[in-house]
Amino acid sequence: MLEGIERINEVECEVPVGYVPGMRVSARFFLSEDLEESLEEGAVHQLANVATLPGIVRHALAMPDIHSGYGFPIGGVAAFREETGIISPGGVGYDINCGVRLLATPLRVEDLTQMRALVEELFRTVPTGVGAESRMRLSAQGLEEMLVEGVPWAVREGYGIEADAVHCEENGQMQDADAVPVSKRARKRGMPQAGTLGSGNHFLEVQVIDKVFDPKVAAVYGLEEGQVCCMIHCGSRGLGHQVCTDHLRVLESATRKYEIAIPDRQLACAPIHSPEGEAYFGAMAAAANYAWVNRQVITHEVRKVFSRLFGIEYEEMPLVYDVAHNVAKREEHDIDGRRETLYVHRKGATRAFGPGRLEVPADYRAVGQPVIIPGSMGSSSYVLHGTDTAMERTFGSTCHGAGRVMSRTKAKKSMPGKEVREALMERGIYVRATSDASIAEEAPAAYKESDKVVDTVTRARLSLPVVRLRPLGVIKG
Amino acid sequence: MPFIEVPHQADVKVRVWADDCNALFAEAARAMFLVMYVAAEDRGVERSFTVSSDDLTSLMVDFLSELLFISEVDRVVFSSFEVTIDGTELRVRASGEPFDPARHLGGMEIKGVSYSGLGIVRDGEQFSSEILFDV
Repeated sequence: MLEGIERINEVECEVPVGYVPGMRVSARFFLSEDLEESLEEGAVHQLANVATLPGIVRHALAMPDIHSGYGFPIGGVAAFREETGIISPGGVGYDINCGVRLLATPLRVEDLTQMRALVEELFRTVPTGVGAESRMRLSAQGLEEMLVEGVPWAVREGYGIEADAVHCEENGQMQDADAVPVSKRARKRGMPQAGTLGSGNHFLEVQVIDKVFDPKVAAVYGLEEGQVCCMIHCGSRGLGHQVCTDHLRVLESATRKYEIAIPDRQLACAPIHSPEGEAYFGAMAAAANYAWVNRQVITHEVRKVFSRLFGIEYEEMPLVYDVAHNVAKREEHDIDGRRETLYVHRKGATRAFGPGRLEVPADYRAVGQPVIIPGSMGSSSYVLHGTDTAMERTFGSTCHGAGRVMSRTKAKKSMPGKEVREALMERGIYVRATSDASIAEEAPAAYKESDKVVDTVTRARLSLPVVRLRPLGVIKG
Repeated sequence: MPFIEVPHQADVKVRVWADDCNALFAEAARAMFLVMYVAAEDRGVERSFTVSSDDLTSLMVDFLSELLFISEVDRVVFSSFEVTIDGTELRVRASGEPFDPARHLGGMEIKGVSYSGLGIVRDGEQFSSEILFDV
């Protein structure tokens, strides 16, 4: 373990006050001993920096997929009091509401006899990669409504079914969304990109449930062994990136104006109820709505493909759930026996609300919120469920993915994309991408094993496994 | 090649250096476009703009962010840059070519230019900077 850090138990470590100057609270991160060697000193330093921010509650937290980012570490979670706390784009990132959703199908794995044809059809239908353009006919008014209303707008416009919105975090619509502080520049980037997959670690995957850990909860989520599902991982595209860039500039000045001492300029922030803080929060929420609609429109295209090829009705392909991985939310939490309004930043972390919370859809409420953890192209993805322990320990949060262990550049140099593609084909996984280079940079060996990350959150009881999904076909930007 | 990639697990970090500040900013821009598009040529597509910021570090972030914006909305891949800095104001003439998926794909999409660890250092006659891009 790195010097100055104390292991509290087999899955949890503490970074004490004083690790960096100005810490108001200690920091805690969840990591099993067998993942210790993957821990970067830079990521711990970034986590300790978060603990210096005003109004922080309990601890700065990080999940077992912790790694170095900018501002907050990736895997970072921090909650701030409404009256004394701050809001910071450094706790959300450039890709606002980058997230993941799972779509169920009535198909069994044995029904997929033409995997190559299915993946090629999905690749033709969903605009993918750098420079891909939207097929939506979106007006300026349409974009405005999308930013404020999120998924319910998309459903009204014909890109979904009624049941979709209730199976999204926040019902696919952040109530605090404000389109006014979304600049013309951000809109200009967002207009031609709605309904596009993007690139990097974003993907669309056809998967099969190959293991059920908890049959009772799986049945509640409508999942069973051998079932074919579809996972969509993407975010708010250029619109979200521009919202972050624009507001970071404003919050840089605000940090000085409100005399907030920050150890890293990427942690630029403002009091929650300042004009600058409210403008960022409103624009961020609008970008989050854009991201939900983005995934919704892709869902619609996926349903069309499955319907065309297999004769399935859209209603037979329900949205299991949609989670945000990069977002700040206004939430109620019990702190020392008192219910408080907090602004919870999750950057590369997933909300994992436990049973009984009103935010969890009524049909899932008894078992807690579904948590969707994407793997990489060759490794499994998981569905877990939220727990009371997460509510008590992490403001209802858990990990978001496997976490990289190798840089994209190194991955590209060490494994040619063609070889990665062929090796995956031998394992029965058909990959279609805009270039072999993008396959190389996302090679499974570049990531921590998702099994170990899931094992840590399971042992810490921050969320518990429901099913595991094995990839069959992947499209990448 | 006056820039190198610094190892970073999640994102892309580059170190650029040059004999003067104008050249440093031009190199930073060139590095950013090579990360994104692998290769680019000057085929006469030009854009000129000015940026004004609070300090030199912000100027670097604002300059590169503006190039990202123009590249995406105008679908241009830039390859060369003539930069003139006066205090905390920058003028640039950037040239390149139209985005062509057949030739330019294979790089990494940059989502934003981070302030994390960003500084502009003068060591004797040389200027250098490390820049972290969110990809």
